[in-house]
Amino acid sequence: MNDPQFYLWMAYGATAAALLAEMAWLRVARARALRAVNEERALEAQD
Amino acid sequence: MSFFYFSSPATFYRLAGSLAPGFFALALVAGLAGLYVGFAVAPTDAQQGEVYRVIFIHVPAAWMSMFIYFVMACYAAMALTFNSRMAAMLARALAPTGAMFTFVALWTGAFWGRPTWGTYWVWDARLTSELVLLFLYLGFIALAKAFEDPRRGDRAASLLAIIGVVNLPIIYFSVQWWNTLHQGSSVSLRGTSMHVAMLWGMLLVAFAFWMYAIAASLNRARTLILERERRTRWVRDLR
Repeated sequence: MNDPQFYLWMAYGATAAALLAEMAWLRVARARALRAVNEERALEAQD
Repeated sequence: MSFFYFSSPATFYRLAGSLAPGFFALALVAGLAGLYVGFAVAPTDAQQGEVYRVIFIHVPAAWMSMFIYFVMACYAAMALTFNSRMAAMLARALAPTGAMFTFVALWTGAFWGRPTWGTYWVWDARLTSELVLLFLYLGFIALAKAFEDPRRGDRAASLLAIIGVVNLPIIYFSVQWWNTLHQGSSVSLRGTSMHVAMLWGMLLVAFAFWMYAIAASLNRARTLILERERRTRWVRDLR
């Protein structure tokens, strides 16, 4: 465990994973919000 | 143009949509440049060896964790003072990114601490106050979502954000106020004790994180606007 590569990979890898996870979450949340807007449009069209 | 022009969700939605891709691009370019300087230009540290290169993300992430909290608290204060919906939404939009950077600062600090201090974690004043910051972010997010009426959630969470500001000077000055294992600041407005390439690598990544935080928050604010304003005419008319 004294290999510096291990500590660098764990630090940089986790940072990359955190950034990618947040970006994926942003996309999912936006898609969900747009779906809700479309549902509102559909409801309005029914009325 | 009045001071409150951009506090209209409709205006802000369009502005954020046009600005966010540029901030993402800046973050990508600065991030790659920072990593290049950090790994290819900056020399190996005489005492810590290669493992010191963790600081190229650890220090910028720690800076961003505090800076984002400060900005979030400013928006929270504006939300309470002016009863501004947009300010409350911006405070909410910043919180997850701030929490992510706080987590990254703690995590990367642990993987720097193990080979240099001999331990992943110690209940040192700097580390503990940074952990409290993570809990403040998580508390803000949880409190904002705890109410059925989002405006009540905004007010409660804003109050917590403002109270939590007291933790920022504690984090910053903890290494001076207490005898901590964590080292003091290597970079200040008066100068630095680091090699110039190390400093540039760190500053470039800090800039990249800053640009990323703006881009991510603008995107999240747009989603929050869509969620809250989905019954309004302007949202339904969006293409």
